[in-house]
Amino acid sequence: MTTAATTTYAARLEDGVKTYGDGDSAVHALNGATAEFERGRFTAIMGPSGSGKSTLLHCIAGLDSLTSGSAYIGDVDLSTLKDRDLTLLRRERIGFVFQAYNLIPSLTAEENILLPLSIGGKKPDEDWYSQILDTVGLRDRLEHLPSELSGGQQQRVAAARALVSQPEIIFADEPSGNLDSKAGAELLAFMRRAVKEFGQTIVMVTHDPNTAAYADRIVFIEDGKTVDEMIDPTADSVLDRLKSLGG
Amino acid sequence: MFRTAIKSLFAHKVRFVLTAIAIVLGVSLVAGTFIFTDTINSQFDDLLDDIYAGIDVSVRAQSGDFSAGTEPFPSSVLADVEAVDGVEVAEGGVGSITAQVLDKSGDAIGGQGPPTLGFSWGEAASLNPMRIKDDAGRAPEGRGEVVLDANTVTNAGFELRDSVTVVAFNGPEEFELVGIASFGNQDSLLGATIVMFELEEARRVFGFGDELTGINVQAETGVGAQDLTDRISQVLPSGVEAVTGETEQGEQAADINEGLSFLSIGLLSFAGVSIFVGAFIIQNTFRIVVAQRTRELALLRAIGATGRQIRTMVITEALFIGFVGSIAGIIFGFVMALLIRGLMNLLGFGVPPGALVLLPRTIIVAMLVGLTLTLLSSLLPARKASRIPPVAAMREDAARTPRRSLHTRAVAGTVITGVGVLLLAVGLFASVGRAIIFVAAGAAIAFIGVSVLAPLAARPLADVIGWPLPRLFGISGLLARENTKRKPRRTASTASALMVGVALVAFFSVFGSSTKASVSETVFELFPADLTFQSTNQTDPEMPAAISPAFALELETYGELGVVSAMQFGRIVIDGKTHFLGAFDPSTIDQVLALQPNGDAISAVSEPGSLIVASGFLEDNGWQVGDVVSVEFARTGVVLMPVVGTFETDDFSNIYLSTETFKSNYRYVGDGVVLANTADGVEVVEAKEAIAPTVGSFGNVKAQTKSEIVDEAETQIDQALALFTGLLLFAVLIAVLGITNTLTLSIFERTREIGLLRAVGMVRRQVRRMIRWEAVIIATFGAILGVGIGIVLGWAVVQALADEGFGAFSIPIGQVILALVLAALAGVLAAIWPARKAARMNILDAISSE
Repeated sequence: MTTAATTTYAARLEDGVKTYGDGDSAVHALNGATAEFERGRFTAIMGPSGSGKSTLLHCIAGLDSLTSGSAYIGDVDLSTLKDRDLTLLRRERIGFVFQAYNLIPSLTAEENILLPLSIGGKKPDEDWYSQILDTVGLRDRLEHLPSELSGGQQQRVAAARALVSQPEIIFADEPSGNLDSKAGAELLAFMRRAVKEFGQTIVMVTHDPNTAAYADRIVFIEDGKTVDEMIDPTADSVLDRLKSLGG
Repeated sequence: MFRTAIKSLFAHKVRFVLTAIAIVLGVSLVAGTFIFTDTINSQFDDLLDDIYAGIDVSVRAQSGDFSAGTEPFPSSVLADVEAVDGVEVAEGGVGSITAQVLDKSGDAIGGQGPPTLGFSWGEAASLNPMRIKDDAGRAPEGRGEVVLDANTVTNAGFELRDSVTVVAFNGPEEFELVGIASFGNQDSLLGATIVMFELEEARRVFGFGDELTGINVQAETGVGAQDLTDRISQVLPSGVEAVTGETEQGEQAADINEGLSFLSIGLLSFAGVSIFVGAFIIQNTFRIVVAQRTRELALLRAIGATGRQIRTMVITEALFIGFVGSIAGIIFGFVMALLIRGLMNLLGFGVPPGALVLLPRTIIVAMLVGLTLTLLSSLLPARKASRIPPVAAMREDAARTPRRSLHTRAVAGTVITGVGVLLLAVGLFASVGRAIIFVAAGAAIAFIGVSVLAPLAARPLADVIGWPLPRLFGISGLLARENTKRKPRRTASTASALMVGVALVAFFSVFGSSTKASVSETVFELFPADLTFQSTNQTDPEMPAAISPAFALELETYGELGVVSAMQFGRIVIDGKTHFLGAFDPSTIDQVLALQPNGDAISAVSEPGSLIVASGFLEDNGWQVGDVVSVEFARTGVVLMPVVGTFETDDFSNIYLSTETFKSNYRYVGDGVVLANTADGVEVVEAKEAIAPTVGSFGNVKAQTKSEIVDEAETQIDQALALFTGLLLFAVLIAVLGITNTLTLSIFERTREIGLLRAVGMVRRQVRRMIRWEAVIIATFGAILGVGIGIVLGWAVVQALADEGFGAFSIPIGQVILALVLAALAGVLAAIWPARKAARMNILDAISSE
């Protein structure tokens, strides 16, 4: 591995294998998947249901461990980390946006945004925090509990939370999956801006071509393997590619 | 439906086990109490069977209303009894409870728990339950010879022909141990110390003349016990009676039963508290479980189950848990019985080992308690479950029944609490029969009322208790506090269980602390005496045991002491009611005891045959000074005595005689209390040291200064408190399990949330800390409510007892703070398991979307 390589990529997966169960009943969720995610880019991972795209995301984000192969965040090999260090790495270097249940119901929007920092006992960078709030457009809802926010607002709070600690990389798992098309578009536009304006790195799992079209690059995955990729996609080109993959 | 119910139970083992434990603990206390007392009862029954095996008729002084009499009657009665037709053997003997055996280092053996009993050795083997053991000497035959029971010999390390000191009527005397006796083939008579002499020697040692205290008769073959009893009755002088052996055995069994029922009522009360607490836990668990199973239950509704079927299913589950828990509780009851036995032995009661007895009654009561407890606890949750609409299977928010308004809750809680307080007040301040039942029911209802109100206090109190947490522990602390506020009803219900236990502990502390304050006041007011001497023997728990008359005489020989004044105590019957009375030497009593006599009452009572009474007692009986009243003594029968004066201090006794009058109406075996002042210019410590040899030689006498009496009383109060607190620990333990249960169920509900926290960087330690502090807040919340109620209850009881010498109300601040700290620690313990479980939760389970 060259030094150049480690600095170019925010995260990498090399020959990732993830097997559930053993013997005849073994399921290979990942079967030798390899992928690199460059800094400052918005990458989408696409694939049909059961293709292993979520597993890939979990393993590279330090939420799950590989059966074999290596996952790197920057140049840190995740398999060498114990639970505590892995947790600290997630806290300091990774941001998350999930499809649902992104927020702690007993905390206000603001407390939820600041969660990764409060867990580490840190205060936010005022300028950065202010910039995020302006971008997300939630200043007047900060004292509200999640149950008092719309689905779109909740996901924007989650996105703000992912950004607040200025992580090296943000992983998003179907972030607009539970939103109506207008709220979804707003959220994705916001993520897009985070990449363009702040140089943020985002890796997003989705099965929806329209969502994937917001990315700079798409990695296609099938049967646990990365099979193809596409630069500067549009919804139509993605659809065509999916058809040719037989998905 | 039944199969569905049972399957669902096994699918949630932890929940099942935690709920069952609350039942097991409560039921095992009930079962254990019954097993323990039934075992002792059966041991006593066997014992009495042995004792009365050969005795057909027993002749004794008429005891009337005087309990525990060893009154003697003339020896000549024996000859008359022997002459009765149908008597095979008749043997007279004497018995006494005043004999005290000293061990090798001069300390008293026994008397604090199991009694010390002195007897004359019975020559007729068929009438004497004691046997000299093989190769263990012989029966006592003359002066200076003693036989002891084998258990005492073993415990004290005596050997045959050792010299043994026995303190009785004549003071300490040395005897040669000529024989070691067993009781039938048992070495121990339930731990009692038994000391036996030849008849003449026994009379001398116990202070009898040519007298007997009992005659045992064996009938000739073919003569009925009742017939013989009737015939013997014909020849007895007045004041002496004959009863069948069976009758006397029945009386003794009834006495033992009464003593035991006191113990079992005490233990069952504590079991009741545990069960009450268990009910809170079980109800809370069922309620949470129903809420968590909303979707599942709604699905059953959607596919056609009726609300009634759902209710039946929830109740069936509850009953199944109750059934299994009760069975386990009965089994665990054996362990509990052994624990109680160990505890009793620790307290100095020699409870003998032996097979535990399980009566069908125990099984029935335990099952009923366990099943009723679970059934009642499941009714409300079952009703709630039956009202879940089928649409809740699809829509999560559909299941949320509209919250009853805070207003309704406040009114209901206040009314229930008010009813409880009212019952309490009636029990404490109105003179009703069975006041304790009003008090107990009032307290229980007040607890329920407060628990209904508690959810209203949960949020603000959690804010107060948890105020420092976010500052100390950051986000973990903040989340801990906020989590307790999310479901105020759940938090309050869990805390209420702990509240009950803590309230009772706090109540006993306050009551004990107030008692101590009152005792101290009373002792310093009542006893001007510098030194007080009492027997350490408590064979008769109601009256001070007699100290040999020789003791006071010996004290008088010391120049370090000034006045030495002895007091005697006895029972008397007035209008069919038994009272205690005291007797003193009118010439010295005013220097050692503050009776607060009115006028010259003390010198007036030196007139032989007169008595003085407390002024309140005079009023209650409608007497006047100068009246001649009819009183009955065990020895002299009905005597007419003039009331010659009154006094105000009634802490000790309501009636006093002069020692001279006492001696002519009682068999004088010794002094109950000896009071002494030091000679002028002699320090108390100095005098106490000077007389130490005499005190030491009597073995069973303790010498105490005023402050030592207070210390001793305080120690006894502390011991009682420790015992009550120990028994309440079960209730507290159940409440702590309740916290564990609630938290375990809550973190299950919050799987996603905890997973999210872990994903965004919360380390396991922080997760554990979050759960732990949540538990601490709940526990502290319960403890604060409990301490508050306990203090109020203690205050009320002290006010109610103000007439009985309770002047002081005192809150033991240190103990109260300790209780709060310990409750918080209990919270930490309760959180161990759920915190671990939360920290180990699989993050992916939590975040992967369905």
